[in-house]
Amino acid sequence: MALVQARGLSKTFKGKPAVSGLSFDVVPGAVTGFLGPNGAGKSTTMRLMLGLDNGEGVTTYDGVAYRDLKEPLRHVGAVLDAKPFHPTRKAANHLRMLAVSNNIAPSRVSEVINLVGLGEVANAKPKTFSLGMGQRLGIATALLGDPGTLILDEPANGLDPQGVHWLRTMLKGLAEQGRSVFISSHLLSEMALIADQLVVIGRGSLIASGKMSDFLSHSARNAVIVRVDNPELLTRELRARNAVVDAQPGNRLMVTGVVGDAVGELAHALDLTVFELSHQQATLEEAFLDATGASEEFRASLGLGPGDGVNVGDSAGRP
Amino acid sequence: MTGALRYEWARIRSIASTYWMSGLAIVLTAGLAVLLASTVSRADFDEAGVDNSVVTNLVILAGGALPTVPVLTAAFMSVLGVLAMGHEYRYGTNKATLCALPDRLAVVAAKVTVLAVWVAGVVATVVVLNTLIAFLLMDQVSLGSDSVRPVFAYLLYCEGFAIAGLGLAALFRNQTGAMVAVLVWPFVLEPIIYAVLALVTEATNSDLATLTNFLPAAAGRRTLFDPYSLWAGYGGSIDTWGLGLSFLVFVVGVAAAAAAGAASFISRDA
Repeated sequence: MALVQARGLSKTFKGKPAVSGLSFDVVPGAVTGFLGPNGAGKSTTMRLMLGLDNGEGVTTYDGVAYRDLKEPLRHVGAVLDAKPFHPTRKAANHLRMLAVSNNIAPSRVSEVINLVGLGEVANAKPKTFSLGMGQRLGIATALLGDPGTLILDEPANGLDPQGVHWLRTMLKGLAEQGRSVFISSHLLSEMALIADQLVVIGRGSLIASGKMSDFLSHSARNAVIVRVDNPELLTRELRARNAVVDAQPGNRLMVTGVVGDAVGELAHALDLTVFELSHQQATLEEAFLDATGASEEFRASLGLGPGDGVNVGDSAGRP
Repeated sequence: MTGALRYEWARIRSIASTYWMSGLAIVLTAGLAVLLASTVSRADFDEAGVDNSVVTNLVILAGGALPTVPVLTAAFMSVLGVLAMGHEYRYGTNKATLCALPDRLAVVAAKVTVLAVWVAGVVATVVVLNTLIAFLLMDQVSLGSDSVRPVFAYLLYCEGFAIAGLGLAALFRNQTGAMVAVLVWPFVLEPIIYAVLALVTEATNSDLATLTNFLPAAAGRRTLFDPYSLWAGYGGSIDTWGLGLSFLVFVVGVAAAAAAGAASFISRDA
């Protein structure tokens, strides 16, 4: 149950900044999603938080840096790789080895291995494990010390739908117990279901952090759907007020750049009959794409037309 | 540090390669001891005036005191040392290790300590087993005071190879590369360097060959010889340093590999 505070995290690789002055909080009692395009610096940030990489800045767990935590597995559980274990060391032995290093009772090994659904293969060698089973063993490793903070890099990778559901339920349950849960994922639909808070980065810099609802409400992809008896007049007047108006099927207008109340008031002022007026909330994917549009490290075109082949380069058009 | 020691003790005992390397070292060395004990001819040694304890050591160390016989235990223990650190990078377990034990110096120290204890156990088994073989197969066994020094040298030689392997794996962060280095350096490169320097010395009448004294694996190997002066017979006209200096060169070589590996492990990104 720790407040995690990352302050001024920075890291460069061969002169190229991977993470730049990143500061954010991971609060207890919530799942905090960590989003960013490929190459944005998510994994590097997590490694910096755990003291695995050299860099600038500091991350504290209730005011204590990771390297100063006594028996750190009891405070922070982390999974950074999909299969971070020796392929021929039995799953239970892998956990026992880590448990003894932090004075964790041997009985806890059986508990967590059953908790992640690997009880039947506890004495099997992980070389036979699927990616999903490997993820489960990784999660068991993170839970071993019953920590107050979890840091998980793409924990849903390789999990089947049942596994994803199990992971979501478990992580939300752990957060409800007051733990701080920090997870990165490319599965935005899954993140939308699980995260209460978000940290969004692009090109190693912070784009947004805070409540998911705030992130979504500030998206430029939020729209007002309106249907009136004279859509041409309303379109003209809205565009005169710098709103973006798209005609939709059924005489509907999708309006972005203004709030719903303003559209209603304008329609009233123009003496128009309003048949429909609703607010369309941006999805997490839309809000994410909107927020990180200029921050993609690598971008590919759709490659459908002549001379429009796959173009791999950064957002500035550099090859 | 105690947490790191517990971790490393659990780690080394929970993978099959530990038992394979140790088992092969014990079994193959015992096989070599049987071969030597069955074939050495007392008469030849008597003729040469070689003490019986020298012959006994030949069997106990499975030929370790002869330059032409590879020290199998050292070779297998060097691989064990490589795996002790190499597995961390090969399978990405270094991140899990350092999340559990952020004090990297303690992790390295624990790995060296546990490895040294394990190697000591393997060498003790080898020596005891080969001594039994000597008693069973040789007509006359002599365990004089001369026998103790080469046995200790054998232990330190194997420990040195294991620790050097661990250090090289930490330095290269690649167990295949470290394995090649720890085996090719002593068994291929050093003999080539030695031969070239000896030939150049012979041809130019210079004293370049004294540089061979700085070859750490060869220096370590000399310390196994019983008596130490036996080396002179193989060194030809080369002015070889004494036992103490040879041991020092070996220790410095091992310490350099270990220190470079530890510095890399401590300072670089996981």
